[in-house]
Amino acid sequence: MDHNKKLIFQLGRIGFLLDLTHVVEVVDPVQGLFDPGRSDIAQGIVAALRFRQTWIPAVDPALKLGLSAQKKIVARAAIVLHGHEGNWAVLADSVTELSFADQLIPCDIPFLLKVSAMGYYSQVFLLNNEPWVVFDPEDYYGASAQSA
Amino acid sequence: MKRYGIFHLNQLEYAISLTQIRKIVQNARTFLLPRLPRAVSAVLVDEGQLVPVLDLGLLSGQPSVTDEELCAYQVLVESEYGTIALPAALNGAIVAETKGTLSDSTESKMSWIMNEFIYQNVRYKILDINFLAIEMTQNFWRNQLDTSGARRH
Repeated sequence: MDHNKKLIFQLGRIGFLLDLTHVVEVVDPVQGLFDPGRSDIAQGIVAALRFRQTWIPAVDPALKLGLSAQKKIVARAAIVLHGHEGNWAVLADSVTELSFADQLIPCDIPFLLKVSAMGYYSQVFLLNNEPWVVFDPEDYYGASAQSA
Repeated sequence: MKRYGIFHLNQLEYAISLTQIRKIVQNARTFLLPRLPRAVSAVLVDEGQLVPVLDLGLLSGQPSVTDEELCAYQVLVESEYGTIALPAALNGAIVAETKGTLSDSTESKMSWIMNEFIYQNVRYKILDINFLAIEMTQNFWRNQLDTSGARRH
């Protein structure tokens, strides 16, 4: 079951977990499939990505999260996701592996960090004693992201 | 008998009451999280819990200390608001209060200093852990050396 699998990706030296049910495909790297001229920074869209004979919005979560990506934008990977308005893509430094949910241990966000986390992430899991932040696609693209 | 953990970090010598120290870990791996407060350099994982690591370089007006040799220890300290980690160099020690003296000077004391413990001619600043935990994790810290006008907790 895809519900039981998580895609692990890295962005700005931070590890993220994404439920595999959201994922259509991983494009790595995006070079040659990328049109940065078609951006809408107000919505977090940094470019359009050519995917299956159409152009889809590519969102860079590093902008919202205040991170410095480790790779130039064209060297990064795109994770293509299902969305209410069609496919869209999230840019990542690298897509590492798949993990099973039962290998993940839930971990509370410390009280002292709850305010700084608010609006950016709400769940963290431990895998091999390392923290991984749950990436919720709705926070980054679509109607709910804009209302937030 | 009251005892202090005394520690060094770059230009800062600091002391913490031993009753507040939960543990000292060596060479702990640290990790970033999104949108960490400016005065929190990272988090570490201890017994399945995330612990914010404070950037103590800000206390002495020094650049942030990230060199692994300079902060080989992480001192895990209990505040009223949860555990925090303070980086320290390897030359820390546990010292009985009777081996040194407490400063009776109140001059130019900063809000984050409770007192000074003088041991072998070195003045160790006794940290106000609750004050630092709130000020440095809630983005109140302004990188000033004297926060005497700031809130007390």
